[in-house]
Order: sequence, then C-alpha cells, then structure tokens
Amino acid sequence: MNSSIIGQDWFQNTLLSNQPEIEKSKVLAVNNIQAKARNQLKHLVMPNRKQETWRYTDLNSLYEKMFKLNDRKTIDAIDVDEWIFPEQESYRLVMVNGRFNPQLSSLEGLSDRIIISAFSQLSAELQFDAARILQTINSFESDAFAQMNRSLFSDGFYIHVPKNTWIEKPIEIAYVNHSSDDQVLSQPSSLIILENDAQAKVVERYMSLDEAEYFFNGTSDIVLKKNAHLKHYRIQQESHNAYHLSRVALKQKNGSIYKNVNLALGGCWSRMDIQTAFEGQQASCDLQGVYTVRDQQYNDIHIDVKHQQPNCTSQEKFRGIIHGKGRAVFDGRILVSKDAQKTDAQLSNKNLLLVDDAEINTKPQLEIYADDVKCSHGTTVGKINPEHMFYLRARGIPEDQAYRMLCLGFAEQVLEAIEDKPIQNYIHGLLSNLL
Amino acid sequence: MSATTETIEQLIDHGYVAGFVTNIDAETFEPGLDEDVIRRISLIKREPEWMTQLRIQAYQDWLNMVPPDWAHLKIPAIDFQTISYYSAPKKKGDGPKSLDEIDPEILDTYNKLGIPLEEQKALAGIAVDAVFDSVSVATTFREKLSEAGVIFCSMSEALQEHPDLVRKYFASVVPHKDNFFAALNAAVFSDGTFVYIPPNVRCPMELSTYFRINESNTGQFERTLIIADEGSYVSYLEGCTAPQRDENQLHAAVVELVALGDATIKYSTVQNWYPGDEQGRGGIYNFVTKRGDCRGDRAHISWTQVETGSAITWKYPSCILRGNDSVGEFYSVAVTKGLQQADTGTKMIHMGRNTRSTVVSKGISAGKAHNTYRGLVRIARRAEHARNHTQCDSLLIGDRCGAHTYPYIEVKNPSADVEHEATTSKISEDQLFYCQQRGLDEEAAISMIVNGFCKEVLKELPMEFAVEARKLLNVTLEGAVG
Repeated sequence: MNSSIIGQDWFQNTLLSNQPEIEKSKVLAVNNIQAKARNQLKHLVMPNRKQETWRYTDLNSLYEKMFKLNDRKTIDAIDVDEWIFPEQESYRLVMVNGRFNPQLSSLEGLSDRIIISAFSQLSAELQFDAARILQTINSFESDAFAQMNRSLFSDGFYIHVPKNTWIEKPIEIAYVNHSSDDQVLSQPSSLIILENDAQAKVVERYMSLDEAEYFFNGTSDIVLKKNAHLKHYRIQQESHNAYHLSRVALKQKNGSIYKNVNLALGGCWSRMDIQTAFEGQQASCDLQGVYTVRDQQYNDIHIDVKHQQPNCTSQEKFRGIIHGKGRAVFDGRILVSKDAQKTDAQLSNKNLLLVDDAEINTKPQLEIYADDVKCSHGTTVGKINPEHMFYLRARGIPEDQAYRMLCLGFAEQVLEAIEDKPIQNYIHGLLSNLL
Repeated sequence: MSATTETIEQLIDHGYVAGFVTNIDAETFEPGLDEDVIRRISLIKREPEWMTQLRIQAYQDWLNMVPPDWAHLKIPAIDFQTISYYSAPKKKGDGPKSLDEIDPEILDTYNKLGIPLEEQKALAGIAVDAVFDSVSVATTFREKLSEAGVIFCSMSEALQEHPDLVRKYFASVVPHKDNFFAALNAAVFSDGTFVYIPPNVRCPMELSTYFRINESNTGQFERTLIIADEGSYVSYLEGCTAPQRDENQLHAAVVELVALGDATIKYSTVQNWYPGDEQGRGGIYNFVTKRGDCRGDRAHISWTQVETGSAITWKYPSCILRGNDSVGEFYSVAVTKGLQQADTGTKMIHMGRNTRSTVVSKGISAGKAHNTYRGLVRIARRAEHARNHTQCDSLLIGDRCGAHTYPYIEVKNPSADVEHEATTSKISEDQLFYCQQRGLDEEAAISMIVNGFCKEVLKELPMEFAVEARKLLNVTLEGAVG
C-alpha cells in the first residue's frame, strides 16, 4: 500500500485512540490549540517518502506501531539518578512519559519574576498567555507530526525570562520515558522566551529508564528578543527501542545570540529538526552537533536556517560517526532571502563511515536570493585515516583504544566549543561508552 | 554604482545573434501526437519492426507518466498536442548524396552560425553531423572516418546500415521508462547521431553534431548514441541554436554513451538555444536526458558543458561507473540571465571498485534568473575505495537573481572518500578595482574575472569550442558587478 495512505490511517488511529485521554483537560486555552491543530491536520498530506523532507526517512516501521498517551499511573516509582549538574547548582525539571513530575523536579531559590514551570502547573492566566504565544508563533504549520503533538496537547514547559535578567544556574530538563502496558506516546511541547537582554542556559536530555519502546514526539518553540542570549544543549540518549522525533523552532530578534549543541545518540529511529529564522539584524545562530549510528539504528538531523534579515551570521557544524550497520541522514538547508544582504552562513557536515553495510545520506543545500553574501557548505564522507591509526599503534596503543581516540578526536571538533565543563565532560563520557 | 548598473543592463540585454530564421520548404507534420504520428515517423524512416514497437511501447508508458516537478523551476504547462513532431527540409530527389546537393539555404544557415560544413572545415579537422529540425542534413568526412573503421552517421542511416549495433545498445543506458521526457523522446525521436568507435581506435578527428531548430511549432527530439569499444577514444562536440520566436519550443533529447573497457569518451556541449526575450517570452525548453555508462574496467567518460541558452534548462548528464577503476567527470558552466531558469547538475553512480569521479560546476546568475545545481553522488555497497570530489561555485550578478545548490550524497561503503564543497559569492569591488586601476575598462575587467571563475571548466573544452564558449560568455555575462 502507498505509504501516504498508511500514514493517513496511522494519524487518524492515533488521534482517535488518544482523544478520550485528552478530553480530560478542561483548560480552554489548550482546547483552542488542540482544535486548531486538528483542523490543520485535515489539510496536510501525511509524511511519506515522496516528500522531499521525508525522502530518506523510513516511516513504515513507525507507522506499523500504535502508541498511546500515558494515563499517569506508573510515574512515581522511578528515579533519575544521573544529573549533569549538582542539585544546588541547577534548576531541575522532570517529565515522565510526557507528564510533569513535581516530586523529581526542583526549583529552589527561583526568583518570582522568572517563570520556569510545567504548563500544567501554571495559573490559568499564565496558561492563557503561553497558549496565546504558541498560537501566534504558529511554527511547524505544515509538519503533520508537530500538529499531532498540538492536537493531543498534554503538557510541556514554559520558561520565561524577563528583561535584563540573567539566570546563573543552568536549567536541566529530563524527559524520562519508560514502558507501561502500552507503547507510550510521549509528546511534550515547550516554550522558551527570553526578553530583551536576558540570558539563560537550558539543557534538555531525552532518556529511557529501560529498553522501552515508545514514541517521543516533542516540539520546542524558542523566542529570543533583542540581545537575548541562550545556550541550548540537547542530548538524546534514549534506549535502543525508542522512536524519537523532536523539533526546535527558533525566532531571533536584533542582536540575539543562540548557541546550540545537539547530541543524537540513542533510539532505533531518531530524527531531530531545527528551524531557525532571523527577525532582526546582527543576530547570530550557532548550531552544532554530533550524531552516531550503531547497528539497526536510523538517525536523522534536519536543519533549516532562514536568513530573512540582513547582517546576520549563522554557523552549522555537524559530525557523524557511523560505527554500526545503520543509516544516518543529514539534511541542512541555508536559505538567504532577497533582502538578507551581508549574510554570513557556513555549513559543514563531516562523516566517519566505519563499517560495511552502513549508509549515510547527506544533503547540504544553499538557496540564495541575495548577492552580497558569504555562504558556503562543505560535506565529506570518509574513513579513519590509516596513517593516523598507524601513528597511534606505533606508540603501543591497542587498536580498539586507538580507534576510540580517533573517533573522539573527530567529535572533538564540535565538543571543544562547549564552554560548560560539566556538560563537555558528560558528553565525553557518553561518547566513549558508546564507541 | 549607477554607471555600472547601466553597463550591466546593456550587457545583460545583449541580443541573441543566432536568432534568424531560414526560409526553406519543409515537410512538417500537423501538430498533435497519437500512435498514428509515431507510426508515420517510423514509416518515413523505414525503421525495422522492433523499433516501431519500442516507440509504441514508450508512447503507451509515457501516457501514464507525469512531468517531473521536483526541480527548482517554474515550468508552464506544456500542451503536447500543439507540437509538431516531425519537420524535415523538403528533399530534392532522394536526398543529398554529397554537400553539393544540400539546399544552399541550409548551408548558408550553418555558415552564418559559424559551422561551415564545406571543405574548409578540413583545416579545423572536425567531422560535423548537421541536424536541421528533425533530420540530419549533412555529415562530413565520412570516408576519412570509415578508413579508421569509425561509424559516424545519422541515427536513421545507422538503423538501415548497422541495425544490429543499434539494437544492441539503443535505450540500454536510458531506458524509455527512465523519465517523462525520455519516454516522449523514445516515442517520437526523429533523428540524431550515431557513433561507433571500433576497438583500439583513436578517432582521428573531433566529431561534432550541430543542432538547429528552424520551423516554428516544432519540437526537436533527437537521440544520440555513442559507443566506444574497448580501448578506443573519441571526443565529441555538440552545439545548438534556434531562431528567435515568441512561442516556447520543446527540445527533449536523449544522449546515451557506452564506454567499454579502457575506452574514453569526451563529450562537450555548448548549448546556446534561444533563451527568450527580456520579458521571458519565447525560448527553448531544454529538457534533456544524458547518461554515460562505463561498462568496462578503466572506462572513462567526461562531460563538459557550457550552458548559456534556453528559457528553461533541465539537464543532468550522468555517469554510471560500473567497471572497476572507471572514471567519471562533469565540468559545467551554466549561465542564466533575464528570466532564464536552469536546474542542472550530474549524477555519479559508483558501482565498481576504485571508481573515481570529479564534479566541477560553475553557476552564474544575472538579472532575474535562477540557477540551480542539483547533483547526486551515490557510492554503492560494493564500490570499494570509490572517490568523489565535488565543487560547486555560484556567482551572483545583481540582487534579483538566485543561485541554489542541492547536492545529494549517498554512501554505502566505508572505504569511500566523498567531498563536497560549495560557495556563493559575487564579484568583489576589490577585484574590479584592481583590474580597472591597471587600465582595463569595466567590461574587460568583468570579462576577465568571469573567465577566471570558469577557467577550470573551459580548459576541459576542445580548443575550437573553448574559443566559442569564451565568446559566448563575453556577450552574455560580462556585466558582473557587485
């Protein structure tokens, strides 16, 4: 059968079977979001491989499964024991199977002016505010999975940093998923707003407690107002059975700075989408990441950087290590519109392909409508240089250790730019365990 | 800045020199396409039954296909029933036996285009096959070539004289189901060039086909098949022009190259179809399928193209690197100005061991034109130690044009080395200033810089073509100023 029809059925079934669970929410603001998204879904063609953005994505394995929203019975029994930052030095938020868990979260010492909260914990007034903002931003309009997230809107995080406020402590968010009787559908949406001259650091981690099979379908909307500065780390370290689909939509005003590092390590099927748009000048956006692929894993990164304003800079730097018989996809587009003169945009994607029967599909794209720009992209696919290996072996380093050193060195091109030592160390640990 | 803008516009508006019409009697089919038309074409050409069947099959399949819509192009809907699928200059008697018998008007046309078919071409040492609308009107130097065993003739003649060769290789590289326009071509192709180089022969001269669309309302659907047998070498040139008309004309050609073991084919194109006027009226739709197949070990296929014409270009000369150690190359300069659109690039399919490919693409976009590079590099699972290097550079002239790069890279073998790099820029004020300061006027400076930008590609062209290509570049894109 045609995969777009399969997709159509899958979406319909998922929506229908989860509808009763959703109707428990009584908040009008959320109801509006849900209704609008359901309406939007009717006009969309469900993702299939004929569509350019889903060209390399194997959707059939996802469409074969049905996922259900969790009914919050099992969430108390778990514990997150591994945090990057010590408890006193960070704010912690935990979401289990797409539901906020207040017991595991801690926001000690948080000033009243700053909002860091789960959507479900907000006052009605603030919920309306957040919902209204989400609706105005209206990102992912043509993305069926994002609209599904909205249609079944259950919970998420709302972070609002007021003017001239710097949050010193990092905000560490853990999305924990684990299996219950059903295959869980976990779909948080988060909204991060930094007002003028505000500054914050957010670490989002996606993890599994066991070898759970579930579908994580999350969205993040980020708005950076004038001269705001956000450091955003995303670490996807889920189980071998997880399906992960997450996207970030970023809007940047004048002079704002966004620094992002993505780590896509786990899951049997994982796709991260990042869409950025400049709405002011002199803003800069820095996207970096490392993705790895082990046996039977599909790992996909989609980047879409839109330069619609003059004098902005963007840098995209991604490294892929394919060390198992799986498949990696990298798709990065830089779009420079007619008015975006003096744009400086550089995209680089390098891949280490280390085993037979693995595959990498990469597609860096430039779409340029302005003439006074500096744009380039570069892509490579290669193996470990035998001379490098020989150099290390000649110094008495065993082969597997040399191999790991070289892979880590390759990833280092991204990791060395991480200014926060604890995060850098944590990622190092994750990578060396993996390779 | 205003003075320079003027020069740009003058230069961009430069007229199309090949836009004249030749008045000759022609036998032209009524517009329209059905099985009857196809049988009539086949009958006129006295084709063997298998070819008629192939055409009918292609037509049937074409009916169920849709035109490709994935390219970065705005293509107005084409009504295939308004096109005449066959047009041939009326022959005196049984058709020309030698150049003397060709309509002097046609000879004159080719002279005006700078392609003298007559003997003085001996000095240039190029054998020419001239295709006028649907049919080949003249092929020069056939005797000299046949001494070397080289077959160089029109496709119609090849079907009569070498049916086995044609049957063996025809549609083996581009099957009729390959894409919408290839299917249409297989159904209605009228003529084209056939080349066969026997084993271990180095073709004694450059071979060339010159395509000219003359009649209005016609489409040109030619088919070229070049076979280089083991250890042989051939360099082949292709040029095209058409009269200036307000209507759009369709050119849907298919080119198939087969390189057996140790053979080399060098295929160069200077495409200068009428691009339409500054309002975008008229011009040729150039929807061409070109593919080369390196069937044997150490085969080598090299595509070089200079694309300056056509209202819309949709063209991806490709190499299938089947043989071990085979080499594929693609060198391209694509220039778009006015309202021209080009979506062009290449596919390098690595299947054999130690296969290598090089892609160098230079796109120049001026006025309101859009120029897209779209390329695929695929390293198959068994292609050990495959190597590819791709470089795409775009030059933008003016702030209303676009330059786009869409490379697809698919690697399934860990021993592969694949590199892709792309840049987009404009001619910098500094470069211009430097040249002007040394006494070059602006035009000369720009011409020099642009020629430098394209140098890597132009140096791949055979000498005669390089001269023509440089001239073309000069008239079409000197106005590059930042």
